[in-house]
Amino acid sequence: MKVTFPHMGNLWICLEAMLEYLGVETVVPPPSTKKTLSLGSKHAPEFACMPLKLNLGNFMEASDLGADTILMAGGCGPCRFGYYAQVEYEILCDLGYRYSLVVMEPPERHISEFLARIRQITGNRSWLEVIRGIKFGYQKARAVDGLEMTAMRLRPREIDPGSTDAALSAALEEIAGARRPEDLPPAIGRAREIMGGVPVEDRPVIRVGLVGEIYTVLEPFANLEIEKKLGRLGVEVDRSIYLSEWINDHLFMGLIRGMRSSSLYKKSASPYLRHFVGGHGLETMGGAVYYNSLGYDGVIQILPFTCMPEIVAQSILPGFSRDTGMPVITLISDEQSGDAGLQTRIEAFVDLLAEKKRRKEWSA
Amino acid sequence: MIGFLGLDVGSVSTNLVLLNEEGRVLKSVYLRTSGRPIAALQKGLRQLCGLLPAKTAIRGVGATGSGRHLAGIIAGADVVKNEITSHAAAAYRLVPGVRTVLEIGGQDSKIIIIRNGVVVDFAMNTVCAAGTGSFLDQQAARLNIKIEDFGKAALKSAAPVRIAGRCAVFAESDMIHKQQMGYDLPDILAGLCEALVRNYLNNVGKGKDISDPVVFQGGVAANQGMKAAFERALQTEVIIPPHFDVMGAVGAAMLARDYVSRGIPTKFKGFGAAETDFRAGSFECDGCPNLCEVVEIKEEGRVIARWGDRCGRWSIRVAREKIS
Amino acid sequence: MTVKIGIPRSLLFYYYYPLWKTFFEGLGAEVTVTGPSTKAVLEEGLGLCVDEACLPVKVAFGHVAALRGKVDFIFVPRLVSVFPREYICPKFLGFPDMVRSCVGGLPGLIDININLYRREKDLYRQLREAASPFCRNPLRIAAAFGEALAEHRRFTERLEAGMLPDDAFGDREVAGGKPGGENWTVALVGHPYNIYDSFINLNIIKRIREARMNVVTADNVPGPVVDRYAGTLSKRLFWTLGRRMVGSAYYFMDNPAIDGIIHVASFACGPDSMTGELIQRRARRTGTPFLSLTLDEHAGEAGIVTRIEAFLDMVAMKSELSTLS
Repeated sequence: MKVTFPHMGNLWICLEAMLEYLGVETVVPPPSTKKTLSLGSKHAPEFACMPLKLNLGNFMEASDLGADTILMAGGCGPCRFGYYAQVEYEILCDLGYRYSLVVMEPPERHISEFLARIRQITGNRSWLEVIRGIKFGYQKARAVDGLEMTAMRLRPREIDPGSTDAALSAALEEIAGARRPEDLPPAIGRAREIMGGVPVEDRPVIRVGLVGEIYTVLEPFANLEIEKKLGRLGVEVDRSIYLSEWINDHLFMGLIRGMRSSSLYKKSASPYLRHFVGGHGLETMGGAVYYNSLGYDGVIQILPFTCMPEIVAQSILPGFSRDTGMPVITLISDEQSGDAGLQTRIEAFVDLLAEKKRRKEWSA
Repeated sequence: MIGFLGLDVGSVSTNLVLLNEEGRVLKSVYLRTSGRPIAALQKGLRQLCGLLPAKTAIRGVGATGSGRHLAGIIAGADVVKNEITSHAAAAYRLVPGVRTVLEIGGQDSKIIIIRNGVVVDFAMNTVCAAGTGSFLDQQAARLNIKIEDFGKAALKSAAPVRIAGRCAVFAESDMIHKQQMGYDLPDILAGLCEALVRNYLNNVGKGKDISDPVVFQGGVAANQGMKAAFERALQTEVIIPPHFDVMGAVGAAMLARDYVSRGIPTKFKGFGAAETDFRAGSFECDGCPNLCEVVEIKEEGRVIARWGDRCGRWSIRVAREKIS
Repeated sequence: MTVKIGIPRSLLFYYYYPLWKTFFEGLGAEVTVTGPSTKAVLEEGLGLCVDEACLPVKVAFGHVAALRGKVDFIFVPRLVSVFPREYICPKFLGFPDMVRSCVGGLPGLIDININLYRREKDLYRQLREAASPFCRNPLRIAAAFGEALAEHRRFTERLEAGMLPDDAFGDREVAGGKPGGENWTVALVGHPYNIYDSFINLNIIKRIREARMNVVTADNVPGPVVDRYAGTLSKRLFWTLGRRMVGSAYYFMDNPAIDGIIHVASFACGPDSMTGELIQRRARRTGTPFLSLTLDEHAGEAGIVTRIEAFLDMVAMKSELSTLS
């Protein structure tokens, strides 16, 4: 059995760690590229959302590397992600790929269903080992999130353009390279040291909250590296959702408590959106309100074309912006999106924010 | 005299303008880019140089448009700004008090909302060509009418035909259908203008607070039929500013003038840049499976800039655009 | 004074109008429903709704806007779930909030949550809330609820007997599209607001009937049959409407009385992109004549009509050929 899984940002670092710890042979798909997207788009339904197309491309490319089993997250709707695995599997079958499919579905009746699915992958490992493996993967996710947060703080302040990103990839390599749980703390130490070596200066920055659909927020290929682009324009970014939060929600079924909780977003969103709408629509709306309360300069929403929950939030954000004066821009990503269009939009948005901030400071 | 140069290198056209110290437009040059931005820019510089009043000293250069980085490197620009900020800068200086800017160019369109001289909201087109000038170009070609005559003919219509279709392809088939039904040409032309205005307002203009005074600029503003269609749809007067077709370049020049007014010397390489050998090349980086296409600009055989790589492996460090 | 309640002729109107109308009238309210969709309704919706939304939501915006100034309340329930452990699509979950944010000048909105995700019995409590702005008499509410449910059952039975909603709304006994009247029968599979709104689907039902073919839809298939066929999916489909479409489409492919299937989707519809794919792939494997139509506001009429006509010709030819051999 050679297990593969779809890419989503640095998700692979934690899944690979978890599976290899458990002695499961793992095939990490090649990073998502234009080729991945065109492979996926060719065979996916035309107006399926982009993550499905990239997943499909990842599976096709991983198959070339010998993968024979797909590990996917599930869901119970109403966002279509909950049915991704089944549709992708049908398409792969029709194309002649021989995969077996294991979907981590939220248990409908009893936790034992969920455990049985884990057993399909882990075989006869003891539960204690399984739990250790999961914990290992999760700790990596936390470490990755920490490094990315540091990078988002450093980018607008770096003295040499690009030095943060070079440091970040070196630091991530340290995390990815830790084979055993005991290797992780020293790896985290080295990674932090690398990030600490980026020369920065104190300068005024613009703060922007990035909200939207999780895949496009977390996957730099899908968002055309928006965090880097913003960072280089002097913007400090925060995201409404991080990898570890997604893993907790979708792979551990929310077992870990006490994270920046969705109840915060739910409460913040309530003047505008009073019900969950699937996906991360409510978190997007709540995140926008939350960033406004923290005094951020602007909010950027990013979503894949046709994403239903985000379209709900997109409809409501202009009203929020009118009420609060908080500038909001919506960016939609699909296989047609061009880099130049995105660059122009965010440059103009950052100009708008900078001018607004300058005027506010004058009048203060 | 002292002058400021504005360069707008777009995918369809390349525009250059010369401003004087008061910000008045003295000269402008309009060229087709024809897929060769360097050649177009150099040709433009040569033409503009020939039009210059004697003893003109260029004190500042601004570049904008999708080829702004390229233009900035070749000419040595002091300010490299995106099209939205440039268009807004030109509009509110040429039409003080403007609150809404409608801009429709060949390949894209935008709306900019300005309050008290500051951009507070904007949007660019997300649907394909149906909200842009190329939509009219294509249909005019199909109807065998010169794009220059389009607007005047459309104004003759008393009852514009309703042409359905947001996508240019669908609109075209509907238009052919209407033609076959025997409608008059002016009514069809006016109908096309209304379709474009509808598409624009439903896409780019959606949810925007469009209020007076409204300025309409970009190449398509030359079309009187479009102005009339906007006025009908918005129920308000639509102002077409002087130099409406080179507003991006005007704005870039104005931003450059502001920038150098702080006593910063210009980076302008001189009109000799038109004769220098610049070559743009590209190669596919095989350092990772992203296979980024890296653009490389060479001046007399020496690499002066590179971009397009995601990881920053090739990019030559360029001075950061400071915010404040 | 009688309270006037407006119901937009859109979205799940086609399933629940008899229930809603009977309920509100039982409470003494006057119910106004918008007219059929028109170009003007669509234009109004296009102007108000974000461009990225699907056509039915844009049309629904137009219907809501058409009720402004005419009624005291507009009934725009938040349809979260109409069946345990299933959902309607995300846009239905956010619909009242989208309307409130994008449509100005609205009267009061009755935007109760209809959420039967846990159990169907919750409906009574939820509809009681819908009554609260104008009627608080529990007996009257209970009686109206009883009548409404009875009316809904009668309506569903009429659908399962082969009628289409427009006929089943009334009292007349119409010999609807019950298979057997014509030579061929075409199954129309799609969301109710796409297949029953003759404006947005360019009159597809009439066109099929004019080609002397019967029309059946997913709503003519009894629930247990849908369940049986939808049950063959490797995972339970969590959209009620999608599940009904897939279950009935699979049944139609298995049923020799059905000569072809037309799948009607709206552009950018999330569930359609998934369920349509499942249906289309199965149809290809079983060799069922299949046409997929995608509706949006800028599809040219000519193109859609040509495709429908060609498909109907194909169905007729294919079944004639198979009779010959």
